[in-house]
Amino acid sequence: MATNPMHQFNVYRIGPEIKLGGIDLSFTNASLFMVISVLAISIFLLLGTKEKKLVPGKLQLISEMFYNFVAEMISNTAGSKAKPYFPFIFSLFMFVLFCNMVGMLPYSFTVTSHIIVTLVLAIFIFIAVTIIGFMKHGFGYLKLFVPSGVPVLLLPLITVIEVISYLSRPVSLSVRLFANMMAGHTMLKVFGGFVISLGLLGGWLPLGFSVALTGLEILVAFLQAYVFAILTCIYLNDALNLHH
Amino acid sequence: MKDLKDFKTRLKIAKSKLKENSTEKSGQNSAFMGSAFKLGTELVAAVVVGTIIGFILDTWFDTKPWLIIIFFFLGSAAGMLNVIRTAKRMQEEN
Repeated sequence: MATNPMHQFNVYRIGPEIKLGGIDLSFTNASLFMVISVLAISIFLLLGTKEKKLVPGKLQLISEMFYNFVAEMISNTAGSKAKPYFPFIFSLFMFVLFCNMVGMLPYSFTVTSHIIVTLVLAIFIFIAVTIIGFMKHGFGYLKLFVPSGVPVLLLPLITVIEVISYLSRPVSLSVRLFANMMAGHTMLKVFGGFVISLGLLGGWLPLGFSVALTGLEILVAFLQAYVFAILTCIYLNDALNLHH
Repeated sequence: MKDLKDFKTRLKIAKSKLKENSTEKSGQNSAFMGSAFKLGTELVAAVVVGTIIGFILDTWFDTKPWLIIIFFFLGSAAGMLNVIRTAKRMQEEN
């Protein structure tokens, strides 16, 4: 059981079973680790911004770095019009980052290695961006699907292709995060299993791999949170500044 | 105020050092891996979405298997479009 590399992804119920109209709303280990991530973010940011010094301390420095990082990312990709959406993108980035990082701790559970979590996040972003686009441009937003300078004969074909391309956004957004996290954690577990099964004689090589992979996984955890946030910015940019 | 000036120059030196370090090879390699993966999912996602749309339309109109075939190819085209756009965006970033 313990050597099964997929065992770490099991979702199980913690506490009593809660059913609401046929939907299972029980508190699971996935919910627990989401709560832990949110609490960690809140505590970290509250402590970091408690003392506002001119020369910041360590915690304040890190929280300011996160703020600057996201603010720069938004202004570089989506321009000044996207400023009102900063709180949303900042929370999104911090949530994904902390879920990934909490998942790197031993005995923990990686929330983002489940496609349902990432897909719901991505679909929420997709619907929000579509609503924002229609609110800003009305039915002019549909111009996104009709690129200019295309022969009339090809227009129906191109429009269908553009619509499919638009609909594929939440899928690629969610699959990328999910696949990266799941593949990485499975690989770590497989190499960990090799260390045990090869024992004291041959276990050193997979142990080295495990150490290297852990470093790589921390990088991937950060990179995927960044990619998730920056793609949200890019989609937001398409909705705010319509140009084709 | 002298303290602050001193701090500024030290910050500048530290920042320039940081920039030198960030262009190390190992960091670049994994960044390339990331972009390769990004392009891959971009292509696959559009093909999957196209095929699913074809499947749904097929069951609606009872035209199996024609629409699923057509939408598979349309999805592939959309995937290539996605890849080209993402690659263009990457080039602009660099």
